[in-house]
Amino acid sequence: MTMLRRFAIGLLLGSQALACSTPLPPQELLQARTSYDAASKSAAAQLAPAQLDTAKQTLEKAEQSFQENGDEQKTKDLAYIADVRAQVAVAEAGREQATRAQAKDDHDFRNQQIDALETSKSQLDVEKRARAEAEKGKAEAEKKLSVAMASLTEIAKVKEESRGVVITLSGAVLFATGKSTLLPIAQDKLSEVAKALKDQGYKSLLVEGHTDAQGSADKNMVLSQERANAVRSYLVSQGIPSEKIRAEGIGSSRPVADNSTAEGRANNRRVEIVVEPMK
Amino acid sequence: MRKLCLATVMLATACGGAAVPQESLTAAKAAVAASEVAGAASEPNAALHLKLAKEQLAKAEQLIADGDNEEAASVIDRAQADADLAFSLSKEAGAKKEAADTHEQLQRLRKHQ
Repeated sequence: MTMLRRFAIGLLLGSQALACSTPLPPQELLQARTSYDAASKSAAAQLAPAQLDTAKQTLEKAEQSFQENGDEQKTKDLAYIADVRAQVAVAEAGREQATRAQAKDDHDFRNQQIDALETSKSQLDVEKRARAEAEKGKAEAEKKLSVAMASLTEIAKVKEESRGVVITLSGAVLFATGKSTLLPIAQDKLSEVAKALKDQGYKSLLVEGHTDAQGSADKNMVLSQERANAVRSYLVSQGIPSEKIRAEGIGSSRPVADNSTAEGRANNRRVEIVVEPMK
Repeated sequence: MRKLCLATVMLATACGGAAVPQESLTAAKAAVAASEVAGAASEPNAALHLKLAKEQLAKAEQLIADGDNEEAASVIDRAQADADLAFSLSKEAGAKKEAADTHEQLQRLRKHQ
């Protein structure tokens, strides 16, 4: 602005020195030329061509008035209007630019929202499908287990306890008195058990050896541990993964029947296989 | 003498003088009102041109009252230009603010996801 003014004054003095007869362009006209020049080089050329054209026409009128009437008030008024019209063109271009930017951002905003919605929808679908499959798998596993257990009821006692399904095999069928070597018939039965448990979704198996109360507690403890080990080894040989099966000797500490009768003692001599369920 | 003067003025108005620029005055007043509605008063640069437009209109009305219709027409044209600029500047400021708001919302949404 200062430079412009200085330039104008310079021009004024210079031309005054040259010729006194030619009137000098008034400040308003100089300002209008500068404004129009800047506007025509701005985004207004593309975004506000109509307003820019109005400014141009007004400037031409001002120039014409200057040629015809010199720096009269009419020239100054027209020049002032041309200056303002050039500013209108710039402002309208700025408005258009902002409107376009907003429209684009608005469009992007909507798309982003739609994307987000679709992403969460598909995530939901995946979760739903996974849940349905898990439920289906669980139901199938339970069905398979109950079928397997039903087949076992012919050779063993099967009952459900809080710790899992408990398969009880009578000691008489498994071992000779005082021995921990499996009888041949026991091997057949345990093969059946292994077959039934194969492919079942259990967490682990626990083999418990139990004795009656006859003889010393220490001896019974050792015997029950050896018998549990024997059953465990055999089940492993039949395909039960070794890391999923433990053996424990319980001795005579957990009787299920009266140790004073022969029948009771027979019931207490047993091996229990606990099928520990998955969480 | 005074009578003669008055007669001369009346003659000038009747024969050679321009008509009252009523149409452009009304249009310029409407443009001022429009820029006020657009919020020109709260936008510094727009407010300046709104003020100029109002001053020119007052001046034009005085000129019309004095019988100088030709000069009034020029002043009204200036007022019209100033009012139009005040309007455009207000609208531009509004559009920029809206654009900035939308942009901020978009950025927030992008950050959120």
